[in-house]
Amino acid sequence: MNYPVWELGMGAGVLIAVVSILHVFVSHFAVGGGLWLVVTEMRARRTGDDRLRNFVKSHSRFFMLLTLVFGAITGVGIWATIGLISPHGTSALIHGYVWGWAIEWVFFFVEIAAALVYYYGWERLDARTHEAVGWIYFAAAYMSLVIINGIITFMLTPGGWLENREFWTGFFNPTYWPSLLIRTFGALAIAGLFTLLTSTRVEGGGFRWRLTRWNAAWALVAMAGVVLSAMWYGSAVGVWRENEALLGAIPVLPKVAGLFRIGLIATTAWLLVPLAVPKLNRGPLATGLLVLALLTMGAGEWLRESGRKPFTIHGYLYSTGMLVEQEDWYAENGMAAGTKWLSEETREDPLRMGRELYLAWCQPCHTENGYNGLRPFLALWNEETVASLVPRLEHMRALMPPWYGTEEENSALTAYLMSRKPREKTGPGAPVLTPERAFAVSCGLCHTPRGYRSLAESMAGMTPAEIDEFLDEAGDLMDEMPAYHGPTEQRTLLIDYLHELGNPPTEADAAERSAS
Amino acid sequence: MIPLAANVILPAPDALPLPAPAFLMRLLLLLTFYLHLLAMNAMLGGVIITFWARLRRRETGDAWDTLADAVAGTTPALVAATVTLGVAPLLFLQTLMGQFFFTSSILMGWGWFSVVVVLIFAYYGTYLQSFKRDRLGSARTPLLLGTAVLFLWIAFMFSNNTSLMAAVTTWPGKYFSDARGLHLNLDDPTLVPRYLHAILGAVAVAGLMLALWGRRRLTGGDSSGTFMVRTGLAAFTWTTLVNLLVGSWYLMALPRDAMLQFMGGSPVGTVLLTVGLVLGILMVVLGQRARNLPPGTGLMPVTVLTAVVMAAMVLMRDMARGAVLADLYRPGDFAVKTQVLNLVLFAGLLVGGIAIVVWMVRKLQKAWN
Repeated sequence: MNYPVWELGMGAGVLIAVVSILHVFVSHFAVGGGLWLVVTEMRARRTGDDRLRNFVKSHSRFFMLLTLVFGAITGVGIWATIGLISPHGTSALIHGYVWGWAIEWVFFFVEIAAALVYYYGWERLDARTHEAVGWIYFAAAYMSLVIINGIITFMLTPGGWLENREFWTGFFNPTYWPSLLIRTFGALAIAGLFTLLTSTRVEGGGFRWRLTRWNAAWALVAMAGVVLSAMWYGSAVGVWRENEALLGAIPVLPKVAGLFRIGLIATTAWLLVPLAVPKLNRGPLATGLLVLALLTMGAGEWLRESGRKPFTIHGYLYSTGMLVEQEDWYAENGMAAGTKWLSEETREDPLRMGRELYLAWCQPCHTENGYNGLRPFLALWNEETVASLVPRLEHMRALMPPWYGTEEENSALTAYLMSRKPREKTGPGAPVLTPERAFAVSCGLCHTPRGYRSLAESMAGMTPAEIDEFLDEAGDLMDEMPAYHGPTEQRTLLIDYLHELGNPPTEADAAERSAS
Repeated sequence: MIPLAANVILPAPDALPLPAPAFLMRLLLLLTFYLHLLAMNAMLGGVIITFWARLRRRETGDAWDTLADAVAGTTPALVAATVTLGVAPLLFLQTLMGQFFFTSSILMGWGWFSVVVVLIFAYYGTYLQSFKRDRLGSARTPLLLGTAVLFLWIAFMFSNNTSLMAAVTTWPGKYFSDARGLHLNLDDPTLVPRYLHAILGAVAVAGLMLALWGRRRLTGGDSSGTFMVRTGLAAFTWTTLVNLLVGSWYLMALPRDAMLQFMGGSPVGTVLLTVGLVLGILMVVLGQRARNLPPGTGLMPVTVLTAVVMAAMVLMRDMARGAVLADLYRPGDFAVKTQVLNLVLFAGLLVGGIAIVVWMVRKLQKAWN
């Protein structure tokens, strides 16, 4: 851990997510919208349709104001944000891909200049030159995507780069092409969605219905492309299968994958409305469609980002800033020795040592109360539980990065975490402990009921007494599994849960229960 | 192993090698920074001059009013140029000095992050002044002030970050007292003169550009150019005069070792300071002379001098940072694995890209006139 840490209560990931999802949406519009502008401008000229040409012109102003300002600045904003939150990852990406970024910068430069010339060139440049500038814009914007796609996919699936450290091996990695295809169609679809919105400002009538149909058809064809290329992408991302992320190794991933699928279907289906009945395409409908697409895209990006766990660059750099090649060193020397930013006070004060280790190694992904919050868990953990979990962090099912704490460091971190345990609430308003919750804060940290490291089979046929005995012996089964230390109330509920998991009620049981 | 003072914590440079020799990266850093500085000066100085003109105007259509409109119309494109030309030096800086830059950015986390949010508002502010000026009515001047303040805030954050990245001895104290990213570099004696030097320089350069623009108008037979030349030169001469003093303050505020580099310690440093100082004085003298000449004449020597002095300042700034960091930063020790193909590809695309941009801008210019 080379760098200091920005102590961010809201959660580092949340800030990156907000900036990047908004940027990604608008920047894809910047690419696809560029093609829409020039193609539609040419169509208007070929058919002598002045109203269409005027619409393209007014849309280009909206396009410029959104992409050149918000799109471009949030792009720089992602860079600034990841530098603050993941300096190790940003530094590695920059060192490995300086020339990639520099080449992308050239395209960015041409893109920005072309956008300005295109907009200010309306009514001034002759039609052919204006269209040429439009094509230059689109080509430059698309090349930006072509380059950045290589670097982003490299982070998830670096492939042969891990062995040879060659720029182009990492660039054209196993997910490069499916990702490029999905982003290309995504960019075109988003362009259609935005024009569906701006076309609601056109006066009603034949022209508007024609325009709406053209935009809806544009977006629909592109969405079909998105769906097909998403299927290819899904099958190309081998890491998700290898690490069983979609089976629950990364808890949130199966849900996000579901949301992404639903979003794709809903967006495509919704597009049939303006295509079939253009009159229905009014402001709220078009805005709703855009919001749906934004959420869908957010789910897609979330899927990709969290699929990288526990790495920032898969197989090379952990999200904590530890390099894979440094693991042996940490295993030998402990975590504090590799933590540059430890204050003098940590030598005397174990609690302070725990806090600074927490900041350096836990805070990159966790918050106390928000995203990946720890206090809801701490509320139900006692010191024995925390102490038994800390040395086994990398075995948890969230695919946590490795932790090689010495005994002293482990107890310092345990002490700090226990100092953050919320005070127990009693009386009305106190949280109700359920069997599911008892499971989630114990076995559920590493297992799922059915799926990843499934427990249903292991529990099959076991009686509550046997499960009770099993909990006592759990710590002896293998090093990765701690003994159960939960208090009696939690233990009873956990036994109920596990018993029901292994012995699901039959229809007869259910009937008997409802009769009674 | 880099010898470290006891109170310094310095992140190790990245484990991956540099993809080109350090001197080449540094050359690119300085070159693109110089270009960024030109655009930034024109933009920020332009916003300040526009605000000044709005304050001086008495009625719609008078000379100040026309000037404010003209300059405000150029600002959005200049912001685009500033941002675009700013990306490249930031990239090369992070490659060469990431261990310094990332650390200082993290210490001032919220301040650094605020640049992004503030820039979006400021940028839209410039479009508002350009596209909706008639609709803004009396709100226009206050909004312009707001936009200027936002840009000045961004500049202040940059001054903080670029000075904090060299103030390595203050890092541990700041970080261990509070890790929430709320620090700035306010206790650094170079911060204020450094910031003022940059802002005054921006107004001077924008003033000079305004004068050159005025001269172009005059050549085209547009008499409004006279007022542009006069106003631009006045801004240029006065701010440069004050900046000579502020620059000296900045020099004196540098740590002793760094300051002495420019006073005999290093031959290059001494030459740079002498050039900067002598030519700086000459800029004021020639600027004043041009004000007394017929409008539009005498601008060329001033422009050449300014371009040279700016280059000297960029180099001095780089040297000062090198002197402050001394043994803590030895780019020559970095592992290098040059990516020749990519370097050539970049150079080729850059040349092609510039050619395309020049072609487009020329077409637009021709069509505009």
